[in-house]
Amino acid sequence: MDEKGLLARLAGLEEPAVLATIVASRGSTPRKTGARMLVGERGVIAGTVGGGCGEGEVIEAALALFRGGGPRTVRVDLTDELTSWSPAVCGGIMDVFIERANPERFP
Amino acid sequence: MNPSPVQIAGRVLTALERGERIYTAVVTASPDASLVGRRWWRSGRRHGGTLGSPSLDGEVAAALPALFPPRESRGALSRQFDYRGEDRPGTATVYIELHGPPARMVIVGAGHIAIPLSRLGDMLGLRVEVLDDRPDFANRDRFPGAAAVRVIDFRDPFADTPLAPHDHVVLVTRGHSFDYECLVRLLRMTSMPHYIGMIGSRRRVRATHEQLLRDGFTTEDMARVRAPVGLDLGGQTPVEIAVAVAAEIVMIHSGGTGMPLVEKERVVERFFKCREPTGGPSSRSAG
Repeated sequence: MDEKGLLARLAGLEEPAVLATIVASRGSTPRKTGARMLVGERGVIAGTVGGGCGEGEVIEAALALFRGGGPRTVRVDLTDELTSWSPAVCGGIMDVFIERANPERFP
Repeated sequence: MNPSPVQIAGRVLTALERGERIYTAVVTASPDASLVGRRWWRSGRRHGGTLGSPSLDGEVAAALPALFPPRESRGALSRQFDYRGEDRPGTATVYIELHGPPARMVIVGAGHIAIPLSRLGDMLGLRVEVLDDRPDFANRDRFPGAAAVRVIDFRDPFADTPLAPHDHVVLVTRGHSFDYECLVRLLRMTSMPHYIGMIGSRRRVRATHEQLLRDGFTTEDMARVRAPVGLDLGGQTPVEIAVAVAAEIVMIHSGGTGMPLVEKERVVERFFKCREPTGGPSSRSAG
């Protein structure tokens, strides 16, 4: 989904969600600063912050936010050893800001 | 009330529909935890929300012009700001986004290069506008995907196409004199597009520069023009030339060198060559 598509989805949000935004990235990361993902209580609604490379960690943190806590920054380290065959070998680090996003109430 | 991410998204979409620039900011980290998640937006003279401290709002607003040059139409970054809190100095990490109307690719000359170039420009997210003085060329049938196709008069080619610093202009008209007319207009603009490309052989480009000097322009003005336009890919067909032009625009936007990555990174040479037996044939081909 492109940037504008995600903004439209966010502006017309119909269920409680968590917005995850890459606010800083260094080194090789699959998506760069500004990339967004919307996570609902049942999983990802739209967008991506990088797929296999670190996204699972962000989704976990986003889901935890539904159970409580304020907005915060999650640091995702993708600098695992190449030989580990872990999905996190992209070679970079990214900071992902997660915060609750609730639908506007209509009269 | 702190604007919600949903309200901010609505603001951004409205600004984009109006063709306006909008900045949004949110505090992502601070020793003062009450600031985290505080937001602010500003578009022209309109603004709303706060980052939690008037001093911090001011610091961020003052930094915008340096962080986002006028030629940029979008951007996203985080910076740390110091501010004066109510009773003591504070610090906060602020994530700022710029959203603006998409930069344009204005192609002057609706000939054979313009067709593939307009499609590539569209794919790059640029707003493509095609100009020519020939209605048989500047028409919707030839450019179904372009945002605008205009029949123009070369005596005032950009009369209906106001240009901004973040725009791109590619001069590929059928005649050198037409390219020159456009070039002179562009170089006299107060808010000149940051990318001005002109097609041409070395000889033609040289002749253009000589004419510019005769008309009172400087070598500095000449340096503003990317001519011959495009990266050196060696291609000859209209599609290949269009790819070379599009690649140059990507390079400038992204701060690339235009070099083949294999030569820039030299992974084999840097990390493996020392382990090779000496006297072996070079792995790099000439040229």
